[in-house]
Amino acid sequence: MAVREAEPLGSLKEVKEAGLDREDLLAVYRNLLITRGIEERGHILYKQGKIPGSFYTGRGNEAAAVGVATAMAPDDVGAPLHRDMGVYITRGVEPWRIFAQYMGRADGPTKGKDGNVHMGDANLGLLAMVSHLPAMLPVAVGCALAFRIREERRVALGWFGEGSAARGDTHEAMNLAGVRRLPVVFVCDNNQWAYSTPTHLGYAVEHIADRAAAYGFEGVVVDGTDVLAVYREAKQAIEKARAGGGPTLIECLTLRMEGHAVHDDAFYVPKQLFEEWAKADPVERFHTWLRENADLSDDEEEELTSGVKRLLTEALRRAEESPLPAASSVLEGVYASPEDLDTPHHK
Amino acid sequence: MATHTAIDVVMPQMGVSVSEGTITKWLKQEGEPIGVDEALLEISTDKVDTEVPSPGEGIVQQILVQEGETVEVGTKLAVIAPDGAEPAAVADVPEPATAQAAAEATAASDAPASTPTSETVEQVRPAAQGASETTAEDASGESSDNGRTFVSPVVARIAAEHGVDPGALAGTGRGGRVTKRDILAFVESGAPAEAAVPAAPAQASTEIAAQAPPPAPEPPAPQAPAPRQAPPPLPAQPAPQPPPAAGELFEPMSAMRRGIAEHMRRSLDTSAHVTTVFEVDLTKVAQIRGRLKSEYAASYGVNLTYLAFIARATVEAIRNWPWLNGEIRGDKIVTKQFINLGIAVALEGGKGLIVPVVKNTEEKNLLGLARAIADVAERARTKRLTPDDVQGGTFTITNPGGWGAIMGTPIISQPQVAILDVEALVKRPVVITDENGGDTIAIRQIMNLCLSYDHRLVDGAYAAQFMKELKQNLEGWDEAAY
Amino acid sequence: MAEKTYLQAISDGLRQEMRRDKRVFVIGEDVGVYGGAFKVTLGFQEEFGPWRVIDSPLSETAIVGGCTGAALMGLRPVAEMQFADFVSCAWDQLVTVSAKQRYRAGTPVPIVVRLPSGGGFSGGPFHSQNPESSFAHIPGLKCVCPATPEDAKGLIVSAIEDPNPVLFFEHKHLYRRIKADVPDERYTTPIGKARTHRTGDDVSVITWGAMVYTAEEAATRLEEEEDVSVEIVDLRTVMPWDKEAVLESARKTSKILVLHEDTRTGGFGAEIAATIAEEAFEDLDAPVKRIAAPDTPVPFSPPLEKAFIPQVDDVVAGLKELAEY
Repeated sequence: MAVREAEPLGSLKEVKEAGLDREDLLAVYRNLLITRGIEERGHILYKQGKIPGSFYTGRGNEAAAVGVATAMAPDDVGAPLHRDMGVYITRGVEPWRIFAQYMGRADGPTKGKDGNVHMGDANLGLLAMVSHLPAMLPVAVGCALAFRIREERRVALGWFGEGSAARGDTHEAMNLAGVRRLPVVFVCDNNQWAYSTPTHLGYAVEHIADRAAAYGFEGVVVDGTDVLAVYREAKQAIEKARAGGGPTLIECLTLRMEGHAVHDDAFYVPKQLFEEWAKADPVERFHTWLRENADLSDDEEEELTSGVKRLLTEALRRAEESPLPAASSVLEGVYASPEDLDTPHHK
Repeated sequence: MATHTAIDVVMPQMGVSVSEGTITKWLKQEGEPIGVDEALLEISTDKVDTEVPSPGEGIVQQILVQEGETVEVGTKLAVIAPDGAEPAAVADVPEPATAQAAAEATAASDAPASTPTSETVEQVRPAAQGASETTAEDASGESSDNGRTFVSPVVARIAAEHGVDPGALAGTGRGGRVTKRDILAFVESGAPAEAAVPAAPAQASTEIAAQAPPPAPEPPAPQAPAPRQAPPPLPAQPAPQPPPAAGELFEPMSAMRRGIAEHMRRSLDTSAHVTTVFEVDLTKVAQIRGRLKSEYAASYGVNLTYLAFIARATVEAIRNWPWLNGEIRGDKIVTKQFINLGIAVALEGGKGLIVPVVKNTEEKNLLGLARAIADVAERARTKRLTPDDVQGGTFTITNPGGWGAIMGTPIISQPQVAILDVEALVKRPVVITDENGGDTIAIRQIMNLCLSYDHRLVDGAYAAQFMKELKQNLEGWDEAAY
Repeated sequence: MAEKTYLQAISDGLRQEMRRDKRVFVIGEDVGVYGGAFKVTLGFQEEFGPWRVIDSPLSETAIVGGCTGAALMGLRPVAEMQFADFVSCAWDQLVTVSAKQRYRAGTPVPIVVRLPSGGGFSGGPFHSQNPESSFAHIPGLKCVCPATPEDAKGLIVSAIEDPNPVLFFEHKHLYRRIKADVPDERYTTPIGKARTHRTGDDVSVITWGAMVYTAEEAATRLEEEEDVSVEIVDLRTVMPWDKEAVLESARKTSKILVLHEDTRTGGFGAEIAATIAEEAFEDLDAPVKRIAAPDTPVPFSPPLEKAFIPQVDDVVAGLKELAEY
């Protein structure tokens, strides 16, 4: 059985029907610009030696991330990954805190205890990812289970890559979610390369989304460079889950436009493939769409881009002013005390 | 503070390697007057036994360490109050002692900070003794099983806190180890710390008696304190819990005893001991000695002993067999151009032995040797040896023959390689072959000489040839040469 | 107050908490209709319904990961591993996600994972293990190992209340074998506090779980036959563990036997022995002794299993050795 392959969104009217007015569209564009801008600056910071450890970006995946996050309701929760900067931005994580996190500063969401995009925010419904992909999928299913037990109209989103689709967690999470028809949406960032491993060495079906049928729910493949198409599919899946219709697996097809991390030049990816997918750059693609379908003016564009530039410059300055954590804080927070349970998560 | 401050008497350093000494006898008691340089007490260390002369004149105001106790070098032993000193000075006296004792008793962390009274001194002093772990090792000669000597951390701590010497208690643990329960029972019994039985004062030997180490003229476990002279009335002495078995008596092991024990064991662990025995006809030597004895006594005031003849003949033989005067040092063989003869001198009652050294015997004739031997023996007997007197020996002679022994396997004094054991001189019927080949039986003065040597360096043939030469030197004594 | 088995005590504590606190739910394999492999949750589903007593697929990862997610959303999940051995399938969720969540992300994970553990009935290599030391080694996790019915109830309540991931090791051999009076009302037993199971003067046994009873039998024999007085400290919780209680007993008797059913090397007894050596050295009158299972998988056949699990005779011999030292 073939999965459904989503059509691209065409006109402004269609988009409006899907739930986005012009102001929303400009916000989506802004989030795409911020997402790309943060990762570009992170790249520079890393090469300047200001970011310890290693550094990962999601270039090419911006539309997939922003598109899904735009479809989430405020009370929904999700566990995005390291290619999903767009989710953090769209949900409202302040860029200066992301820079502080990158640089291991005290004001990063993890206060220097963890690095990269390993951060959550209880206020924004974001769970902090771990490196063991896709270990957050069962956790997302657990969130959905809580919503189901309490009969809340909330939805959990779990992200994973096509590489980690090979791990058992994916199966256990989807199986339990399918069996219990839990309000969860699984989002696969299929960027075609698990580090250096191509898809045909990772799975034997045509699409990851093909597997959804095995768990008793719908799978859909969507062009991950088309932010509007991604939004529409995510919105549909989320609202279906909210209504008690059970999980959906959305596979966003993209290409990872950089190496696995900064230290990887991705020599194993055919140059031709990069060139081909560069034509479908998600930010540029949406920019063009706005010019052609939503009358994006030069002034509007200038205001947007310079605003984002100012935001990031200011964010970086603030992050660099953030102190490094005190060595003594190494011992803090291993165990929780009862008052720590008073978080938005635990309401 | 009085003008004349009190004078401390401390445990002297009797040689660089000496770290502690045992009080064997106080020659003056508290309250008695004493003059400067007058002998105040006798001590025993693992190098020498000696008298300690008083550092000042006055009254023996306080004796801080009792007979039989072993303390570290520098420990204050007594206080002399000079004439005219005010009694108030007394109170100041113990402070340094307290500090020192506290330092030694490593666990006595809460030593009084303020000026202690003499009472605190009493409490702290035995702690120092306790800290010197094995000083009062059970003298019963029981095997030195590890359990006997191992002091567990908690026992060490309690011992230090209460000033008890665990070595003086009977242990019920494995191998006789003193357990926490043992020492707590002892402490709770209210026994004073001094209950570690004080040794009876060691009596100096009154005769020159060289004997082979390790001598054991007295059974290791004395039946009763009878041999001891007029034991002072002991304070009501609560028996340690549990007490020694019936018929057993504990006494502390002296520093000398421990030194001997350690050295003898080490020697056996170091050298490959072999003993060879030669029968020597001393008839000619006896005749010469008989002739010279009164002359030596009259002219030089020297008692001419057989030992002097044997020493002289030995020195002569060593010249041709230098390895017997040598040493193994690392992977090198050391031979020496000097012959320093150690003469083993026993103390009375098995209290130990000491080996004063007669230096450069290769330069001495019979008279010189006889005089030198008499000198060191006398000074050993009267405890006037200096640390130098007991160092530097290259060959040792021991002489248990005085008591009638005819055979022995002495243990080498490290790092030497040989020791000669002089046995009893006895008249024996022997077969003598005359120049015509005829045999007759004659009465001759015969002595056995036993040589223990280190086979690592000296082979059997080498040793036998040395002994053969020694025998020839004695049997054909050449008065002109010697 | 009524006499309860160890198993009933756990069941009672859990039921009381579920009645008291709607956030508490149970998830595991066969916990619903069947009432759990050992019947700890028998009748629960009838009382609390299928969404608070959840029969899960055979998915330890999803069970524990799901609990973590639900806990992050404010519930108080209690997961049952059918056997403690199967927690290995959820290792990543416990060690990678739950244990580190509070430290790095600041959000507590108040979950309880119940682990029927221990051997003694030919369960073989996969139904008999005592993996507490593996988890005690992971910062962020707590490990609870009750020995008595009273503690089992008090500790399951405390575990549910605790804002951290708590592994609740319940010893299968005690389930129905051990009975004692258990208070009817709700109460908590503090996590991190040991209990003196028996007072004595000569030797201390530091232990937990089923070995408390092995130690008790050995102690009774030693007291009768050898006049040796044995103290037994039941740790009750292995992480955090009551260091002070152990050191206090060490100071008292100066002879310590650390006893556990888990294997020897790297077992939690090693941590206890090392701590005593570090902090009570001057109170020791004998080397700290360990008695534990040998470093092998748990064997199946009865004579082999008997040779594996520390027996009363082994403990008697160990105690005698210490007493005589």
